[in-house]
Amino acid sequence: MLERLKRRWTYLAIAAMLLFLVLIPFDWFLGQYTVLMIFIGIHTMVTVGLCLLMGYTGQVSLGQAAFYGLGAYFSAILSKTYHVNPWLAMLMAAIATGAFAYVIGYPFFRLRGNYLAMATLGLGLIVGILFSQLDRFTGGSMGIREIPPLSIGSFVFNTTLKRYFLVWVFCLVTLLLAQNIVRSRTGRALRAIRGSEAAAESVGINAAQFKVKIFVLGAVFASLAGSLYVHNFFYVNPGPFGFLFSVMVVVMAVIGGLASIWGAIFGTAVVHILSDELLIEFGEWDTIVYGLILVVVMIFVPQGLFVGLRETYEHWRLRHVERRAEP
Amino acid sequence: MSLDLFVQSIISGLSQGSIYALVGLGFTIIFTVTGIINFAQGEFVMLGGMFSWAFFTLYGVPQVPALILSVLVATAIGAVLYLLAIRSARKASVVSLIIITIGASIFIRGVVGEIWGRDFVRPPYFTGENSLHFLGASIEPQRLWIVGTTIFVALILHFFFSRTMLGKALKACSVNRIGAALVGINPRTMSLIAFALAAAMGAIGGIVTAPQGTTWADAGLMLGLKGFVAAALGGFRSQVATVIGGVTLGILEQLAIRVNWGPFGSDYADAIALVVLLLVLLVRSGKLAAEERTS
Amino acid sequence: MSQPILETKVLGKVFGGLTALDKVNLAVEAGKIISVIGPNGAGKTTLFNLIAGVYAPSSGEIYFQGKPLGNAPPHRRAALGVARTFQGVLLFDNMTTMENVMSGQHPRSRYGFLEAALRLPKAHREEETISLKAMRYLNLVGLGMHAQQNALSLPLGQQKILAIARALATEPKLLLLDEPGAGLNALEKQGLGELIRRIRDMGISVILVEHDMDLVMGIAEWVIVLDSGQKIAEGTASQIQKDRRVIAAYLGEEEKVE
Repeated sequence: MLERLKRRWTYLAIAAMLLFLVLIPFDWFLGQYTVLMIFIGIHTMVTVGLCLLMGYTGQVSLGQAAFYGLGAYFSAILSKTYHVNPWLAMLMAAIATGAFAYVIGYPFFRLRGNYLAMATLGLGLIVGILFSQLDRFTGGSMGIREIPPLSIGSFVFNTTLKRYFLVWVFCLVTLLLAQNIVRSRTGRALRAIRGSEAAAESVGINAAQFKVKIFVLGAVFASLAGSLYVHNFFYVNPGPFGFLFSVMVVVMAVIGGLASIWGAIFGTAVVHILSDELLIEFGEWDTIVYGLILVVVMIFVPQGLFVGLRETYEHWRLRHVERRAEP
Repeated sequence: MSLDLFVQSIISGLSQGSIYALVGLGFTIIFTVTGIINFAQGEFVMLGGMFSWAFFTLYGVPQVPALILSVLVATAIGAVLYLLAIRSARKASVVSLIIITIGASIFIRGVVGEIWGRDFVRPPYFTGENSLHFLGASIEPQRLWIVGTTIFVALILHFFFSRTMLGKALKACSVNRIGAALVGINPRTMSLIAFALAAAMGAIGGIVTAPQGTTWADAGLMLGLKGFVAAALGGFRSQVATVIGGVTLGILEQLAIRVNWGPFGSDYADAIALVVLLLVLLVRSGKLAAEERTS
Repeated sequence: MSQPILETKVLGKVFGGLTALDKVNLAVEAGKIISVIGPNGAGKTTLFNLIAGVYAPSSGEIYFQGKPLGNAPPHRRAALGVARTFQGVLLFDNMTTMENVMSGQHPRSRYGFLEAALRLPKAHREEETISLKAMRYLNLVGLGMHAQQNALSLPLGQQKILAIARALATEPKLLLLDEPGAGLNALEKQGLGELIRRIRDMGISVILVEHDMDLVMGIAEWVIVLDSGQKIAEGTASQIQKDRRVIAAYLGEEEKVE
């Protein structure tokens, strides 16, 4: 009975969220934030990959910007320079990025903790340097312009409104896929690895392989996000794909909660609202605030802010129910 | 490559590499005593340089006191970092600590950028600009200061760890934390000292190197990374190997800049460090794979 | 005996300067309950870890159902049919009792990321099978009513039983139990003994490392005695109780020898 009640609330929450999302572009509601919401949608796809990685493997990647950038540049180059259909280009970018993550995944994940973090940091920086230096392909620091938009037949995604819905369909589908994975045998295996890697191995779970797969999944999501980015803004340069973005993704994941899928939206939204709305007046303050958030959250709520809030809520609700049940 | 270019590379590489060695030693000290990799290590070098510029140029403090003050303030910041951020996070996982130190590093970077802007700045030379000449290459005296200071610091460290009670206590902590506690050494105090020491070393590196190049608020990232490479080459254990590793990296970088290869431009120097980093990590990964099946 | 389920030939393991196991030859008959005993430091857990694949042998070879295990990692051995429990129990504390046992079904199910993401019917069907089988194993060990509780909310005795259920869910042919009786009271140990017999009756071979001699003598059909890394005796429970070498090995130890 409790299950059915919980499910009804969940459906209600989902319906409310969908309604909210649909209404946002309207001027009388929150229309002026449509572009902000596009960014939030795209970046959530990057964040959820890191949330899963950190939540299920207990490792951190400081180089998510690399996969985001690879998706962006692959899509840009294929669709602009080689006139490949943008949808096909997006798919090819995702496959290429995923394959790359797979190849570096095994050697990377043999490393632990600090070394792995450094390796991903190095990866992010090297890929960033490649974006600037291989200017024959990437246009160097000038980047690539006039990237064609996505379209289905004669329906072209070239207005803010159309792009907004495109991005959010992608984002929600991504989150749904992630949730399906987490609720499956695969998700159980990942949680088992998190619970006790030795015991997981003893029941036939190949921990190393799962860690790499989760890493690849995050890379593919980030790549798709990157492709969406270039087809939304029709321009790409190395700027958005550096170390600062990788750190931003960590901040978003830390606020959203490790291993939390829907928390990823929360974390991404909070960071964007902070940096684009509240702090934009204050110049350098975004790095200061990010740094502070990282330190404070990891000290007091290491499982992530959103997850921590949810746990506090459940704890409070349990106490409340217990008190009502007392005679 | 002509001889003078080569000699120039060696000389510049020696001085650059000395800084990487100092940063690497800082990493190693903190890691061996506390088991933590302090991602904010590079920021202490930046702080040393920025403070010495700010105290002298902005606030009119005479040069020598400015240098001393810079090191002291940076050391204090290192201690505060440990007390506020690290000690509060008891029983934190490795990942949490990584994120905390990264958060601290961008916080420090942000504050410095906010107070003094993001432009390149340069504090004055210690003993003037006139270059000496050697084998067709010119050596700026500041470089001698850099190398000399590094050697001096390394010797002091060696003396400290092997001859003084405090140094030996620190070493005891790194070998066996619980054992050290059992003989009356307080590991938390030792950790605090390790952080302060590493900050001091970074800051000394900063004050001595900033006059030679320039420094700016974001200098810490690459310095930290290269120091990490130096420390990794030393296995995070051996001070000697760290110094050799840092210097080698410095020399390789300088050679690479002067050789001018292929489609790559000026970012090439940084790329060398990154490639070395990934190679070191790959080798380590390979070794771990081999170990896995025999342990 | 017909083909032994497990054999070791000249099995040895050296850690640095310490020889944990030295030229151990074993042949374990299928379908029996075998116990490995010995004073502390005899090498019992090392032996288990070698069979389970956690360590690689320094010398010698292990054969499972006649085939060498070679370098197979632990997850591969679980798929082959070698299951184990741990001294430290090592339950998945982030899951319910039921989910712990369902995890055990991992090597017997196949669907992966793609089928899970898209919720294909194959995934759904396999999940149902997994749930059914897990429930069956839970009921077999008597923990069915605790299915939805968090695994760590159970008292230690039941946690150890849960760990056994999880290992059983891998549908093994050989089950290694590492000190299953430690921390259990007399009543629980009796239940444990009965459970082990039921497992044997299901056709699963059981090897247990155990210090409680009552438990061992009560259920073991064959006993192997290790001391300082070497096999010093083997036989039926009553035989080794009278074996002079065994008694000598235990004297001078604070061991309970009934």
